Amino acid sequence: MGVPGPMPAPMDRDLALPRYGLAYRLFGVVVAVWLTVVLVLGILGPVSNLPILEHTARNLYFHVPMWFVLYAGAVVGAWHGGRYLATGRTVHDVRSESAWMVSTVAGVTALVTGVVWARFTWYQGTGLWWSPEPRQNMVAVQLLISGAYFVLRGSLDRPRQRARLSAVYALFATATMPFLTYVLPRRMASLHPGAEGNPAFSEMDIAADMRWVFYAAAVGFLLLGWWLYTQRVRGKVAELRAEALDAPALAPPVVVS
Amino acid sequence: MQPADTTVAVLDPSAAQAVTEQPAQGVERVMLAEDKLPVVLAVVLVVWLGVLLLLFRTDRRLARLERQLDDRDAPRS
Repeated sequence: MGVPGPMPAPMDRDLALPRYGLAYRLFGVVVAVWLTVVLVLGILGPVSNLPILEHTARNLYFHVPMWFVLYAGAVVGAWHGGRYLATGRTVHDVRSESAWMVSTVAGVTALVTGVVWARFTWYQGTGLWWSPEPRQNMVAVQLLISGAYFVLRGSLDRPRQRARLSAVYALFATATMPFLTYVLPRRMASLHPGAEGNPAFSEMDIAADMRWVFYAAAVGFLLLGWWLYTQRVRGKVAELRAEALDAPALAPPVVVS
Repeated sequence: MQPADTTVAVLDPSAAQAVTEQPAQGVERVMLAEDKLPVVLAVVLVVWLGVLLLLFRTDRRLARLERQLDDRDAPRS
């Protein structure tokens, strides 16, 4: 750099990202093929075809991975929140927010798909859209906590303060997640596998034919979430770099005419 | 008195029967199997390909943007 003047800290280290080259493009192709195969197997493959569930058992491949993306995104968001507090580098704030956004969107998707799924299986004939399912209610609480992250960000103007406070908030909000969505619902009667103390996804909960498609779907959607996350990170970093490049032009030069 | 059945004029039932009663063959034999589940797959795949197209285009656009920013950064460092 070596430019004197009121420039802020050099942006290149502050916003350093890995190269998104050939490996990244190959990754995209792998995710595309992977999830396409999952869709084919998930829709055409054999299902347990139990009463009440019938073909909706296939929702396992699409509804449950959304939860994994919710959890993974929150953990990544909290991790980079912590990294931001430790290093003060803007890129961690960008990563934290991007992961949080992917996580929240996946959470909303998971909640809505769960509502629809329950409405036409266990609650068919009752007219109940919002069922008294504990996990559903707890996740609604969790999503309010997650959504407040963006309210917090939107209410703060100074970038450093915004980054610091939202990093702390992300850490606390992620800490509530296992309790609200995992521990508490298991203490109550629930539709979900794993209620009343049983481990989820044991041999009894998932038919052998469906198990591998489910694992593949979980991996595929996690990779898709990571793809979306990196795109958001790259976009935001490019925006900040462009702002930093334009900033000196806006400031009046030292030479006075 | 019954109202005039206008559908007869548009759709000859015997002709319609002739269409539907053809034995399923070719692509139909595949698509009509298992409660027409393959049709769902076809629709989902079309949607998914659209999403993928956007994902890949966004990747390319981001790469171009990053190259431009690198070029603008270069003279300063």
